[in-house]
Amino acid sequence: MDIRLKFVQTMQHILAKAGRGGSLPGAFALKMDPHFLEKFRMPETVVLVTGTNGKTTTSNLIACSLSEAGLKTINNHRGDNLNIGIASLLAANSDSSFRINADAAVIEVDELTVYRQFKNLHPTVMVVNNFFRDQLDRAGEMETIIRKIQEVTEDFEGDLILNGDDPNVCRIADSAKKARIHFYSVARQAASKEVTDEASEGKFCPNCGRRLVYDYYQYSHIGRFGCECGFGKINPEILIEDIDYEHQTFRCGGKVYHNFLNTIYSAYNCAAVLCVMKVLNLNSDNADETFRNMVLNEGRNEVFALSKPCVINLIKNPTGSNETMKFIISQPGDKNICILLNDNDQDGHDVSWIWDAHFERLNVPEVKTIVCSGLRAYDMALRLKYEGLEDRVKVIEDAKEAVRWLDEQNLESHIMATYTALHSTRAILRKEAAAHGS
Amino acid sequence: MDLKILWMYHDLMDLYGDKGNTQVLKIRAEKRGIDVTVDTCTIGEERDISDYDLFFMGGGADNEQGLIYQDLLSRRGSIEKAMNEKTAFLLICGGYQLFGKYYKDQDGNVIDGLNFFDYYTESTDRDHRCIGNIALETEMDGEVFKAVGFENHGGQTKNVTTPFGKVLSGHGNMFKSGFEGFMNDQVVATYMHGPLLPKNPKIADKILMRALRKRHGEVKLAELDDTLENAARETMLKRLGV
Repeated sequence: MDIRLKFVQTMQHILAKAGRGGSLPGAFALKMDPHFLEKFRMPETVVLVTGTNGKTTTSNLIACSLSEAGLKTINNHRGDNLNIGIASLLAANSDSSFRINADAAVIEVDELTVYRQFKNLHPTVMVVNNFFRDQLDRAGEMETIIRKIQEVTEDFEGDLILNGDDPNVCRIADSAKKARIHFYSVARQAASKEVTDEASEGKFCPNCGRRLVYDYYQYSHIGRFGCECGFGKINPEILIEDIDYEHQTFRCGGKVYHNFLNTIYSAYNCAAVLCVMKVLNLNSDNADETFRNMVLNEGRNEVFALSKPCVINLIKNPTGSNETMKFIISQPGDKNICILLNDNDQDGHDVSWIWDAHFERLNVPEVKTIVCSGLRAYDMALRLKYEGLEDRVKVIEDAKEAVRWLDEQNLESHIMATYTALHSTRAILRKEAAAHGS
Repeated sequence: MDLKILWMYHDLMDLYGDKGNTQVLKIRAEKRGIDVTVDTCTIGEERDISDYDLFFMGGGADNEQGLIYQDLLSRRGSIEKAMNEKTAFLLICGGYQLFGKYYKDQDGNVIDGLNFFDYYTESTDRDHRCIGNIALETEMDGEVFKAVGFENHGGQTKNVTTPFGKVLSGHGNMFKSGFEGFMNDQVVATYMHGPLLPKNPKIADKILMRALRKRHGEVKLAELDDTLENAARETMLKRLGV
């Protein structure tokens, strides 16, 4: 019996009764004992998920699929991916001798700190989905993140599941000599392009320095690349083909699956899940069942019933924003848009990334007004001015007033919010929607 | 009237939204009725740099910097000719560093600079960088004003005799150095991202005037509506308390 574990679990119990969860108990635990995480006896299967975009969604899909397949599975489903969130998850699911009461743990881990937590968590499977430019004020340079992940996987003897269509992920295979490598990939589809203005990574071969040659791009720098030296010649174990945007399906290994979102990046999330199922020898029907019933996490395409539907999405870096904008523009009909740009710690203090994102996509006649809100509302407004959108820009710094304004317009709306603006704005939207319901 | 801008290594030195600077220069010039050409130039591409009125180069990660520096050094003659013919230069971060004597990266590798100026840069280790919002006061071509940006650099640049500005909040050329960047009557070189020009339209206009001077002499630029620009800058100045 560990008194600190007991204390943390009691705290969690009390918080749970008060209807609250969160990372607080984990923060306490690590403060009392910096070696807290090392003490847990992990389940037989431990899947770590890391990368830049889609970690939360992918790890939730994996966890649900494992549960569907009959494994008792725990996961940090809200995306609390730092050590304190992970400590909370483990404490909440452990007996008094640090043994985890589960068959499997699926843990999303922050890509910048994964090197510190890797050994403590004893992973048997590790999924790396993609590397995009994100919060460089925290990360320094992208190269630093990749090198640190290469360092921890050098001695990894488990199954390493890699997105074979991202050169920066692909290169991890070359340094992880002891791991069993499994690639997943998505074949050319209707939206693939031979040239792109979105890719800021993946220009040069990490092996020989020659320019990489792309057959096609799927989005950002994700696509089928190759180099004279042989880099990029992969043999994917999971290959997604025939993405059908009309029926929201794709094919993999002769079987048709439902795509939980009608986008290319969701197909990549599915590919990662199917690869995990294959590696763990589990029936992929369980994954399909999960794809069909997937309710996305809060703030991911979440719809609120204002006077007209209001859809909210998280944005945090150029690639995610570009994909969200593509999705918004693909929706028929006139709409208003609201962009909430904050620069708190969890958002990243540097908002320059908005100049790397393609906000010119919003310059279509169906977009009527773009409300800029949040701590850096004027930075956002200025960004849009440089895409010729000045006449449609409206600055309302206060989020509550911005939501009220959207509601009054009687027009469908889309909100894009950075991390710290997301949760507060969802609370505002819930209240605003409730007022309509009564 | 026309203006020719060269955007150097647009595909490699493109960190932290630096590309926004070219958008600002182009659009602010066009609003004054000036015909603007923006040409790009990357590794191996032939260009006579002295053909241009304005040379812009942004920042890149160490990797990218390592890839371009030999190509850049091979262009020294062409860049020197442009300098002698009064081309204006805007250099951000990596671009700034490579116009000095040398750059020593985090692993101790030394990259030769173009050696136009006496400053040199030595990088600290990976975990210590000058990161954060920055405000400075600069005097450009006889006018004093405040500017804001975001710095994110490991490199410590030393031996600058004519800085771009005095730091009001933030680090500058080195940790807590008090001064930021390098400037002479042709060159503005700085660590300021943000990007630099959108929120600092006065700097943009001064640079445009320097560039236009090369072939068109003194040009007076009409006032533009900078309400959003000023509001965005004031928000940051207020937050930094300067």
